[in-house]
Parts: sequence; structure tokens; C-alpha cells
Amino acid sequence: MFVITCPYCGERDLTEFAYGGEAHIARPHWREDMSDAEWADFLFMRANPKGVLAERWMHAAGCRRFFNMLRNTATDDILAVYRIGETPPKVEARLPATPSGEAPLGSGNDAVKVIQPGEGG
Amino acid sequence: MAEERVGPPERRLPLFRRQAIEGAPGTIKLAELPFAAKFVLRLDPAAGEAAFRQAAGLDLPAAPLMSVVNGERAVLWLGPDEFLVVAPEAEAGELAEALAAGLADTHHQFTEVSNYYTAILVEGPKARQALMKLTTLDLHPRAFKPGMVAGSNFGHAQAYLWLEHEEEGAARLRLYVRWSMAEYLWCALAEAGREWGVPEQEPVAGEPMLTESVTSRKA
Ligand SMILES: [Zn+2]
Repeated sequence: MFVITCPYCGERDLTEFAYGGEAHIARPHWREDMSDAEWADFLFMRANPKGVLAERWMHAAGCRRFFNMLRNTATDDILAVYRIGETPPKVEARLPATPSGEAPLGSGNDAVKVIQPGEGG
Repeated sequence: MAEERVGPPERRLPLFRRQAIEGAPGTIKLAELPFAAKFVLRLDPAAGEAAFRQAAGLDLPAAPLMSVVNGERAVLWLGPDEFLVVAPEAEAGELAEALAAGLADTHHQFTEVSNYYTAILVEGPKARQALMKLTTLDLHPRAFKPGMVAGSNFGHAQAYLWLEHEEEGAARLRLYVRWSMAEYLWCALAEAGREWGVPEQEPVAGEPMLTESVTSRKA
């Protein structure tokens, strides 16, 4: 069972939640000289890191509120949960613990390098 | 052209085909609780609590997942700024008017959902155990205490579960479920109660939407 902590309701099963994609993507103010590339960047381009990602989730079966989550996409560790409008807290991603360098749970067994936000790319 | 109301009043029940059922004595009982006035209120408690108390005659829940009861009226926490207000059917108009007047100066939204949700009563010492089969909610008495409300999935149906009362291990719970899912949830609950002797409930496929067919059924 995969448990998510809703900031309003507390610990609930994953099946009560809906995924809302990457968080903190602001819709750009419309300008006459806005290029298609700029608009496409807002619509389609996502960070897709192997590491910490800020995501939106919604407690669909419970309080029906959106909230944000910092999740390590390599290990599925939920590192923080915070409300909409709040600043993402500073987190430290857990480094892969197994001797071969792979994550104990989660995605595949490529050598996992945990990428922090703003790093790599 | 004024149309005469046709059909028996129980036609308004989402579960009008169902009778209250129960298992062996002292285990579990299921019944529909029909005809209550229900409203969904969106209101920032910090801004509108006093006005709400004045208008409705009871407080807003002070903590998440909690409820407040005063006589036959109750307020259930659905979200940080969302509440379900329940009252006897006869008080629907009066309550709506009082709230509209009392909250006129506060940013709010007030929607009647009397015929959108129905309530299924799940009662008895085995009520928690039967519900545990349908949901991932932690229904252990240590976690789910009297007065608590929680939205979750019960089988395939989303519903709000309210533990209204519990005495000596016998819990009285209400499930607020959407009309269209009530029939499904009723059958799922009966299925969950089979081990205590709850009679099997045949799912009813399709619904006669014409009042004539209901009238002929009664004839
Ligand atoms: Zn929630």
C-alpha cells in the first residue's frame, strides 16, 4: 500500500488521489509578441528529472483539495507535502543505498543518480 | 399548464426498491435514511463562523474530519472550506432562507444537494468490519472515532462516511453517497455483510424513469 499524507485529511491510500502533473508552472501573461515556442514551453515542456520533482496532487475521494508534493522520482520517496501557495520546503533526497548503486525501490536498476532541482540537465 | 404529481412519494427514494435489511441479531443492519435536507456550504470558517452559528443554530466543526450535531441538524466537515449541512426535510426552506440572509455579507456558496446524495445507515457491532472490506480508510476504533467524517472510496463508489455515534462497540455510521451510486453501494454493503447473515441483494439493472411503470408496479 502506497500511503500519501493529505495536508488536510492525513494519511490515506494512494487510490484516493489524482495526479496533477508538475507544480509551480505559472501561465505566462499574454503578450502580442509572444512566440509559439514560448507558449509551447509553458504547455508542454516539463523538467522530468530523475530525482526530486515538485508535483500537484488532488485528494479526489476525500477533501477534493489540490496540494503539492516533493517526490523523488527514482525511489518514489515522498519527501514533503505542502499546501497550494506555500513555498516548497528544502529537502534532502535519499541517496541510493544498495551496494550496486541502485535504488531499493522504484524505477528500474540503472545506476541511480539523484538529481537535485537546478542540477544537471 | 400545471402538471399533477404522479407516482408514490417513495419514488423519490434513490433506494426505493430496497427494504431495511439486517444480519443475525447483534451484528449489522442496513437502511436508507431518506428525505433529509442536505446542503453543501463553501465558506471560509475564519470569515463566516459567527454568521453561520447565528443563522443555522450550530457551530462549524472546529477541526478537520469532525462534525457538529445540534438536535436533528448536523454539519459535517468535507474540506477546509466545505461543509455538508444536514437537517430534517421540513426545515429545508427555513434553513436555506436563514443562511442566505445570515451569510449575505460573507463570501460563500450554498447549494442544495438533498436529492443529489442519499444516506445509507450502517449500524451494529459489525458495521466497522463490514465497511473495512470496502475501503482503504483506517476504521479501527483507535483511528476512526465517534463524530469523525471521512471521504473515501467504498468499492467503486465515492462516499462520505460519518461515525454518528458509538456505544459499547455498536457503531452507527452513515454513508452519504450520490444517488446514481446508491444502488451499487447498497448491494456492495449487503455483500460485505453476508458472513453475518445479511440477505443477498440482487442488483437492479436499469431504472424505470416513467412514473407510469412505477404506478403499475404498485398496482
Ligand atoms: Zn484530503
